[in-house]
Amino acid sequence: MLGINDPQIWLAYLLSVLSALGCVIYGLMHWNDKDPLEES
Amino acid sequence: MASSIVLGIAVLIYLMITFYLGWMGYKQTKSTDDFMVAGRKVNPFVLALSYGAAFISTSAIIGFGGYAGAFGMGILWLVFMNIFVGIFIAFVVFGSRTRRMGVNLKAVTFPELIGKRFQSRFIQGFSGLLIAVFMPLYASSVLIGGARFMETALGIDYNTAVLLLTIITAAYVITGGLIAVMYTDAMQGTLMFVGMTILMVYTYVNLGGVTSAHLALTNLASMVPEAMAQQGHTGWTSMPAFGSPIWWTLVSTIILGVGIGVLAQPQLAVRFMTVKNTTSLKRAVLSGGPFIFMMVGVAYVVGALSNVYFINTRGMLSMDVAGGNIDKIMPEYINSAMPDIFVVFFMLTLLAAAMSTLSSLFHNMGTAIGHDLYRESIMRGKIGHTISITKLGIAITIVISVILAYTLPIGIIARATAIFFGLTAAAFLPMYAGAIFWKRMTKEGAIASLLVGTFSSLFWLTFVHAKEATALGISQAIFGQATLLTGTWTLVDPILVATPLSVFVAITVSLLTKPASEEHIKKCFGN
Repeated sequence: MLGINDPQIWLAYLLSVLSALGCVIYGLMHWNDKDPLEES
Repeated sequence: MASSIVLGIAVLIYLMITFYLGWMGYKQTKSTDDFMVAGRKVNPFVLALSYGAAFISTSAIIGFGGYAGAFGMGILWLVFMNIFVGIFIAFVVFGSRTRRMGVNLKAVTFPELIGKRFQSRFIQGFSGLLIAVFMPLYASSVLIGGARFMETALGIDYNTAVLLLTIITAAYVITGGLIAVMYTDAMQGTLMFVGMTILMVYTYVNLGGVTSAHLALTNLASMVPEAMAQQGHTGWTSMPAFGSPIWWTLVSTIILGVGIGVLAQPQLAVRFMTVKNTTSLKRAVLSGGPFIFMMVGVAYVVGALSNVYFINTRGMLSMDVAGGNIDKIMPEYINSAMPDIFVVFFMLTLLAAAMSTLSSLFHNMGTAIGHDLYRESIMRGKIGHTISITKLGIAITIVISVILAYTLPIGIIARATAIFFGLTAAAFLPMYAGAIFWKRMTKEGAIASLLVGTFSSLFWLTFVHAKEATALGISQAIFGQATLLTGTWTLVDPILVATPLSVFVAITVSLLTKPASEEHIKKCFGN
């Protein structure tokens, strides 16, 4: 995959990209969260 | 070599913006809280960029990028760890609890948060001392990274570069406190993001696209030098041979040491206490993840791919082009492969990367001495000359960092960074995690964990882990042998031994001792 034969490497490459995207999605989903314990 | 006039103007503009933000920080700093935790009202975008820029230094880009150039893409696991553990777990799981407890206990530094949670001035003082003694090692490796690039790109003498970098950064940290540090960090982070994006796009386009660039690198596997192949090197797009010396260093020191160690970095944890609510932390994840990806992901991929470029253009591997010094691989690549105007931009990117990390380290070492050691441990909480001592502390630790930058051996950047991260993981992480997640953890458990983590980590470094033990020579001097244990043990990083020990001690001692009063726990955790 992606010109890399060793699955231990392309998996790391793929997981890095996916986790960065995951962070964006998480941030958007919780953008307007209200925490009842917090001061606003 | 970049055109010196363009570079001169660019650096001047950059410095003017830096000083403007530093001055803004100075104007806004009216109280101790402002100097220490930026008044607890920092915007999430500034938090994410500042955290990321402080986290990612020239160590990551130059040191670890160079490591990828020498040993290949196995280090991409660290990118995944940096994003998942260093951003997601850190902000969402640790960050929100840290922030809330910081407010409940009115703590302004990382050691103070832990010290107040366990009602122990000893913990605060000892943690402060540990930071003051060992953080200069990390700071000096960041200095070396920045100075090496200035040496290669600008043709400035290395020693002069170290001094220039230090004086400029020290000026705004000492005057503007954490507000200045975070705002300059955010500006520097933006610059880094743009610079690394250009580096990635340019490198891939230059080598014919993502897949063909990787493929060309895969095909270089047969060129691995014999000496490195014997150490476990199998090529630049495959993991080193399982259990080989290179494998152990990569997995235990770099991926686990730095990947997990980041959670207990005092200069990063203190940033969680600068925002006003948990939502800010969640919002910060959005920009934090992609930012880290663009920093370390790009640095490591490009570092590895530099081999393809150098083979194509000079018929040499990156390691040989750099004369065997892995810290010079990235500067050499950027200088030869990128157009002059981008070299100028990278100069700024790396200057920004070095300064943003240095500023937060300087600030943190200063508060460790001024606030944690002087005010809380020596003055028993009286304010005394806290801010002056903090500023003096910043100055002293800066001098030590500069001396280290002059004296540490070459090719040390990645290793010195890993040593510091490993030590903080063993000493602070079990105690810090217990402090914010485990109500039953006691003062005695925390002290035991702190001491066992610190000393077992230092013991392993000095007497067992071959890379440091041999270099230090203490074991040789006392026992007449380079390391006390032999075989695979000498390859296992201290973090794998010291952190589990520290966790074990924290749990056992806590369960054997009397828990803190319910009233105190309520105060710490809120209702």
